[in-house]
Amino acid sequence: MIARAGPPSVHALGLAGVAAALLGAAAVLPMDLPPLSLFACPFRAATGWPCLACGCTHAFHHFVRGEFVAAFLSSPLGTSVALAAAAHLLWTALRIAGLPYAPRLTMTPRLRWAAAAALAANWAFLAVRA
Amino acid sequence: MLEDLMLARCPSCRNTFSTDRAGRQDCPICGKPLVVPEQGAGSAASPSSETPPAESSGTPWERRAELGLVAGWAQTMQQALFEPARLFAAARLDRGNAQLGFAVLTATVFGAIGQFFGLAVRGQTQAMVDRMLSQSEIPESMRQMLRATRAMSTPGWFVAGIVLLPVLNAIFIYLNAAITHAFALILGQSKRGFPATFAACTYSWAPTVLLAVPGCGLPVAVIWLLVLTGIGLKATHGLKPGGAAAAVLGPYLLLCCAVCALGVVMGMAMRNAMPGQP
Repeated sequence: MIARAGPPSVHALGLAGVAAALLGAAAVLPMDLPPLSLFACPFRAATGWPCLACGCTHAFHHFVRGEFVAAFLSSPLGTSVALAAAAHLLWTALRIAGLPYAPRLTMTPRLRWAAAAALAANWAFLAVRA
Repeated sequence: MLEDLMLARCPSCRNTFSTDRAGRQDCPICGKPLVVPEQGAGSAASPSSETPPAESSGTPWERRAELGLVAGWAQTMQQALFEPARLFAAARLDRGNAQLGFAVLTATVFGAIGQFFGLAVRGQTQAMVDRMLSQSEIPESMRQMLRATRAMSTPGWFVAGIVLLPVLNAIFIYLNAAITHAFALILGQSKRGFPATFAACTYSWAPTVLLAVPGCGLPVAVIWLLVLTGIGLKATHGLKPGGAAAAVLGPYLLLCCAVCALGVVMGMAMRNAMPGQP
C-alpha cells in the first residue's frame, strides 16, 4: 500500500545508490568480453543444476536494454529484482523531489508463502530450461 | 553537543532515535510523522521507561565523537570479535551512516593491505594458475574462471581494485543486508525492520580485518562473518537462536552450495597441479 512519508531515509538512499550501481554496471560493462564473459556459476559447473541466482546477470543485462522477454527467460528472479531496483530508484528520486508518499509493504503469512513459492518456481523454471 | 540531544521512540516502528528538538517531526527510520514532547513532560513518546537502557546508548564506534576515532574503532572491533552480543545490544538503529562507515572503512583498509600482500606472492599464484590451466581434465567452466583470474592480475586491474574498493564494499554491504533482510521477511523473522538487519550486517563485517592475510584470511573471515550476523540478528531483532540462524543461513546456504562446489573443484585442480603429483 502507499502511505504518507517524509523524505527518504538513509537506507532508502543507500539502497537506491546500490540499485543505480547495479543497473549502471549492467548497462556499461561488456558482459560478452573477457574477463567478465569467463565467469560461470560454480554450482552449475559442479552439479549441472542451476543455482537459485543463475541467469540474474543476463537478466539485468537484457532488462536495462529493454529486452524484457529475454530478461524473463534468463531469470524471472533477476528480472523481478531489476524491476524492483528500477522502481525503487525512480521512487526515491521522486521522494527527494518532494513526493510525500512511499510504498509500505506488510508481510502477511500469505505474502511470505507466496514469496517462498515464487523462489521455488523460479528455480524450477531455470532447472527445466537448463 | 550531546547534552542537547533527547531520545525518543517512534510509536510506529518502535525504534529509538535521537533528536535535538521537541514537537512534530518525521521518524528518521521509518519516515512516519510523530510528536516528540518537551523533556520532562512525561508523555508516552519519551517516558523514562521507554528510553533505551544504558547498553543501547551506542556502540563505541557510534560514540567515536567522545571516544576518539581510533579508540572507537578499536573498542568496536574488540567487542565485535570477542563480545559480539554486548556490541549488538548497544547498536542504535538510527546510526546507519556510522555503521556503514565502520564496515566500509574496515573492509577497505584491510582489503587493500591484503591486496598489497598478495602482490608479494603473485608470482607463485600465477605459476599455480598456469599449472592448473595446463591440465586437460579440469572442467571448462573452471578453466574459464582461471583464465579470468589470470586476465585480472594486471597492474591496471590492481589499481582499479584499490580505487573501487570502498564503492564495491558499500555495494556488497547493502546487498548482503538486503538479501539477509529479504530472507528474514520471508521467514517472519524481521521484528524491527531493515535498520536492525543493517546494524547486524555492518558490525558483522569486523572479521574483514582478516582480509589482510593472503590466502586463508578470506574463508576464515566469511565464516566468522556468518556467525556474527546470526548473533547480530538475534540481538537487534530480538529473535530466538533458531530464527536468527534460519534468517542468516537461508541465503548463505544457497551461496555455500556454490562456494563449496567451487572449493571442491579448485581443491582437486590444485592437488593435481602440485609438482610431483601423478
